[in-house]
This record gives sequence, structure tokens and C-alpha cells, in this order.
Amino acid sequence: MTKTRLNILPTPTFGHLGVNYTEREVGFAGKENISVPEGADRQIIQFVDSDDDTCVAVGKNARLQLVRVCASEQGCVSKVNAALDEDAELGLIQLYLGGNNVSEIIAELNGSRSFFRADIGYDLGKDCTLDLNLAADHNGRKSISEINAGGVLRENAQKIFKGTIDFRTGSSGAKGSEKEDVILMDGAVVNKTVPVILCAEEDVEGSHGASIGRIDEGQVFYMKSRGIPEEKIYEMITRSKLARIIRKIGDEKTEQRIYNILGWGDEVE
Amino acid sequence: MKEKTQVADIDRAFYDFRYEEDESSFLGCGITPDIIREISQEKGDPEWMTEFRLHALKVYERLEMPAWGPDISGLDMDRIVAYIRPEKRMQNDWESVPDDIKETFEKLGIPQAERESLAGVGAQYDSELVYHNVRKEVAESGVVYTDLESAMHDERYAEMIRSHFMKLVPPTDHKFAALHGAVWSGGSFVYVPDGVRLEIPLQSYFRLNARGAGQFEHTLIIVGENAYLHFIEGCSAPKYYEASLHAGCVELFVGNNSTLRYSTIENWSKNMYNLNTKRATVGENAKVEWVSGSFGSHVSYLYPMSILNGRGARAEFTGITFAGEGQNLDTGAKIVHNAPDTSSYMNTRSISKSGGISTFRSSVVINENAVGSKSSVSCESLMLDSISRSDTIPAMVVKTDKADVGHEARIGRISDEAVFYLMSRGLDENSAKALIVSGFAENVSKELPLEYAAEMNNLINIEMKGSIG
Repeated sequence: MTKTRLNILPTPTFGHLGVNYTEREVGFAGKENISVPEGADRQIIQFVDSDDDTCVAVGKNARLQLVRVCASEQGCVSKVNAALDEDAELGLIQLYLGGNNVSEIIAELNGSRSFFRADIGYDLGKDCTLDLNLAADHNGRKSISEINAGGVLRENAQKIFKGTIDFRTGSSGAKGSEKEDVILMDGAVVNKTVPVILCAEEDVEGSHGASIGRIDEGQVFYMKSRGIPEEKIYEMITRSKLARIIRKIGDEKTEQRIYNILGWGDEVE
Repeated sequence: MKEKTQVADIDRAFYDFRYEEDESSFLGCGITPDIIREISQEKGDPEWMTEFRLHALKVYERLEMPAWGPDISGLDMDRIVAYIRPEKRMQNDWESVPDDIKETFEKLGIPQAERESLAGVGAQYDSELVYHNVRKEVAESGVVYTDLESAMHDERYAEMIRSHFMKLVPPTDHKFAALHGAVWSGGSFVYVPDGVRLEIPLQSYFRLNARGAGQFEHTLIIVGENAYLHFIEGCSAPKYYEASLHAGCVELFVGNNSTLRYSTIENWSKNMYNLNTKRATVGENAKVEWVSGSFGSHVSYLYPMSILNGRGARAEFTGITFAGEGQNLDTGAKIVHNAPDTSSYMNTRSISKSGGISTFRSSVVINENAVGSKSSVSCESLMLDSISRSDTIPAMVVKTDKADVGHEARIGRISDEAVFYLMSRGLDENSAKALIVSGFAENVSKELPLEYAAEMNNLINIEMKGSIG
């Protein structure tokens, strides 16, 4: 199998950082199409364990919550290309819980007032890797994107998060925000974060923020003063990062299945 | 009908004057081994430098053009004149400088600045320094400020030059670093001995007058331990229709417990490709401060880099970029944390108008050994119309769990709410908008030395009219 160039950063940057693209052997079985007709409201939950290429179309005034969990031991290549019509709404929850994953998510906000929200969570340990390229392309007037990514890296895990908000000509009144919050738990982890804003329109508002590093010492001190052992504090804080996203799924069976994968038992504390 | 805020392009008429040059003083166009040997011979290089140039040329021929950044296909290297013989050798008496050159720098206000607020001045015209002078008391403190060629031929500094020249920016770094290594000419050498704090700045001014030429000055600054230096760099050129090239190189060595502030106001003409490389290595508890204003050139690639090699080393980068019609300015900074307890802070502003493109590009790398390090990056961009473009491409690479990295960026237009608030306080709309734009640039201009802050205010001529846009 030949290697394919994936996760190409929309605007390349310094080559030595190794973030402009990745190369990997891929074996897409075919394209999966998800179409949500005008006015419909759907939730789709997928546990992705092999290479996957999905096209999503969200019609006028339609709403889709797409939940994707990548938890296989070996990991996979996954692609989501979504197109949003007028007043359409796509909420994407995507979790990475192990393996070597390459993931690309492109949301085309074509319709006026279309709305895209992505909640990305990861808990990666051992030698797990994640290369994630996410782009919100604003074409429609007053379209809105909110990208929230966060998680925990342990042991030898390596992660690249490339998030792009692209305000294209004609997207006046659009707003986009992007945030990543990464907790690094071990000295051998490698984290790369590239939050990009591209702007060809005057009347827009874009922002991005990133916070990378240790757990806040003040937070740890406060919890210790309440009698919680230090080991438990770290576990609680890292769990809370993912739990916040998992609870948004709103489907008890799926949430339980994810807790089982994470080894958290049968309830969330 | 809505009427948009009008912000004027930077008025470059002040810099746009030129003198005809005798083209017999130009070496041939293009970059070939024969041209390199000729430059080396003209300059009386020591043997090691001639070999260095020829080696750099081979690297240049091998390396590809950058695969990222603004388009530079309009730059035809076969048409660039790499070296122009000076009319007269460098002087340290202003009256001995040729009249046309003297007049150029007088118009730019350099002699006046020297008299009023500088400890020393260097002035480069095309390929060579034409004037260099340093105050007597500064020279007596042991500070060396001269042109690089003189230092290279002075036995007191020759070894220092050889052991530092292009060691921070090797020719293999990128294609234009290799080009610089092959054809460099002019630039300054500064040495500040241990314990000397030079409170008044030194300034070098680079002027490219010739048509279709390149300027390749090399600035090498070595600051000893427990020392302080503020160095100011200015540059400008008249406008031609042919492309010009600036591929200078700045190497800064900051000793333990020292501080070096490096301020630049770049105002090249709009036919200039500004492909400059600047780099600093910073020792224990030492600090480098970059203050950078990018206003000119057709295309810029400019990312001053700080390598924090000593425990507790610090870097600060403060920059403003104003991209108007026909300009594509790709600016930012790079920081490498390479020792424990290092810290860095980046704070930038960019403004795009009349079809100009401004890109903020940065990288912060925290290596495995940089435990306890901190970095913070903040960038804001202002779009003044919809035919312009503003991109923000920061990258952060963290290889240890014992570090804290923060980043925030914002892009947008002049806020209607802010205008409304100021108007409710009694300002008319035009004044409110002018205040917002000047406030946007202020946290950069306040870091500039007074004379440069005044120059920046002169550069950004803001005109307001109409109602809320």
C-alpha cells in the first residue's frame, strides 16, 4: 500500500516543525454519506475502528449531532467532510481514546447563519499518537463556529492539533472561536498545537486561545487542603476534561460504553 | 448609505528620492562563482572568507525556494546586482562623505539623530558602509562599533569574527541565508565588554539607492556578561519598477546576565523583497528584546529568532506590521526554549488595508531540557476593508510536561460598540475611530525609542471621515 499525504495544513508554515502534513497508508472501504433533510433533527453515534471517509450534508434548518469515538488499539484514519446549509447546525463530538489516529474534519459553513460546534477530547497514553486537522470554512453570512479541544497526554503519547478558522470573502458577520486546553502528565510526551485564523473578510470576529502544560498548582493546592490525596486530584482533574465532553452526548448507553473503555466503572463521579 | 472609515496608506514620499548612479560601479547581474570571487577580491577578503563564500554559493545552488509563505516568483535572481563598488571608502568624518550620499542621510535625519540621541552611528549606502562613528567616551569604555570588514582585518577582532560569523545562521539554514553567505557586504560589528552598560543606543541605517540591486549587510553583535546594549536598525529605499532584494543577516550573542534590545523600523519601498534573517542566542539570566515595525517592502519574510540557551534566559518580541496596497508582509518570531526556567513573551499587532496582506507566523518550541519554562503569545489583527487579508499562523511545540504555554489571538474590525462608547463621552466619530486605531498600535509604539515612535507616527497617517461604517 502506498502512503497518502493527509491532514494538509490549509496554509503551510515552517517545515521543520513537522506540522504541514502527514503521510500514512490508508484503506478506505468507500465513502459513507449522511444526509439530514430540511428541518430534521438527528443524532448519529459511531464507534470508528477502521479507516473511514464520511460525507455529511445538513440541510436547511436541520440539526445533527454526530458523535464519533475512536477507541481501537491500533487506531485508524478518519475523515469527515460536512456541508451546512442555511440555518443548519452541526454539533460534532469526537473522542480519541487510544491507538495511532490520523483524523481530518472539514466543516463547510455554506449557508447563512449556519452553526458548527466541535467538542474534541482525547486521553492518550503509552505510544499513542493523534494527528488531527480540523477546519471550519466560513462561506455563509453570519455563520458561527466554536471549536473546543482538550485532553490529556501521558507516557510517550504524541499529539498534533491543527485547527483552522477560515473566513472567506462573503462571510460578513461571521464569528469563529477556537480553544485548546492540553494537560501534559509525563516528561516524554510531545504536544504540537497550531491554531490558525485565515481572514479575507472585514466584518468578522475570530479568536483563538491555547493553554498547554501542567495542572494548575493553585488548583492542586486547594484540593489538597480539602484532604484529597494528590494522586486522586490528578485523576479527578484529567477525568473531568473528558467527562465534560462525554456528558454532552446525552445518551446513557453510549456514555456507559465510553466509561467502560476508559475503565472508569459504571458511573461518573 | 454607509461610509467606511478611511485610513490612509503609509506616505513614503519622504523616503522616495534617489540619485543617479554610475552603473560602471555595478558588478554583473546574477550569482555565479566568478561574481563571488570578484566581490571577495574587491573587498580584500581573507582566504577563509573567500572559501566560505564559495561554499555558501554551492549550498545556495542546492537549496530549494521556501515551500511556504508569500509568492516570490517575481524575484529574478539573474537580474539582481549583488555588489556595487563604493564611490569612496568608509569615512568617520561626516564632511568627507560624498555629497549625494551625505544629502541622502541628512534628509533621513541621521546626522541630527547622532548629535542628539545616539552613542554611535553607521550608515550603509548600497553595498558598503560609507560612514561610521562612535562617541569618544563610548570607545574608551571598550565598546567596539565598526563595520564588519574593518573588524575582520583587525587582528584584535579577526578571530572573534571568524569564530562567530554565520555560526548562528549557517548557510544551510535556508536558500537566502546561503545567498547571504555568498554575497554579503557591509553591516556592523559591535562588541560590548563584560560589565559595560551602554545606556544610549547605537544605530545603523541601511539605504539601498541603486536600481535592481540587492543589499546583503551582516550585523554581528557580541554582548559580554553583565552588560547592556540598545541597538537600532533602520532601512529604506526609493521606489523602482524593477525588483530589489534585501537578504541581510543579524547574529546576536547575548552573554550571561546581559540585556540586548534590538529595535528595527523597516520601511523599504514597495518593489523590495525583504528576505532577512535575524537570530539571537541568549545566555544564563540574560535577555533579548526585539522591537520591530514592518511598514515597507513588496514581500517580507521576517521572523527574528531567539534561542534561549542559558538557564533563566528570556526573550521578548514586540511587533507591528502595516500592510497596504501591493504588500504581502509575512512577519512574526521564533523562540526556542533550550534550557530550564526560560521564559518568552510575544506581543504583536497587524493592520491590513487597500488589498494588503499581513500574516503573523510564529513558532514556540519548548525542548525536553527546558523544564520550568513559560511562554505567552498574544497577537491581534485589524482588517480595515474586505479586499485585504489577514492570517494568523502560530505553532507551539512542547516536549516536556513541566512547562506552561499560553496563546491568544484576535482578529476583527473597528468595534462599533467602542466607537459608540467614545462618542457617548463627547468625541466625534472621526476622533473616536482615530483614537481606536492609534490605541491599537500604541502598545508597540511605546516600546520604540522616542525618535522612532515619532517616525512611526509620521508613517501611519490616519484620516477619518464619514459615519459609523
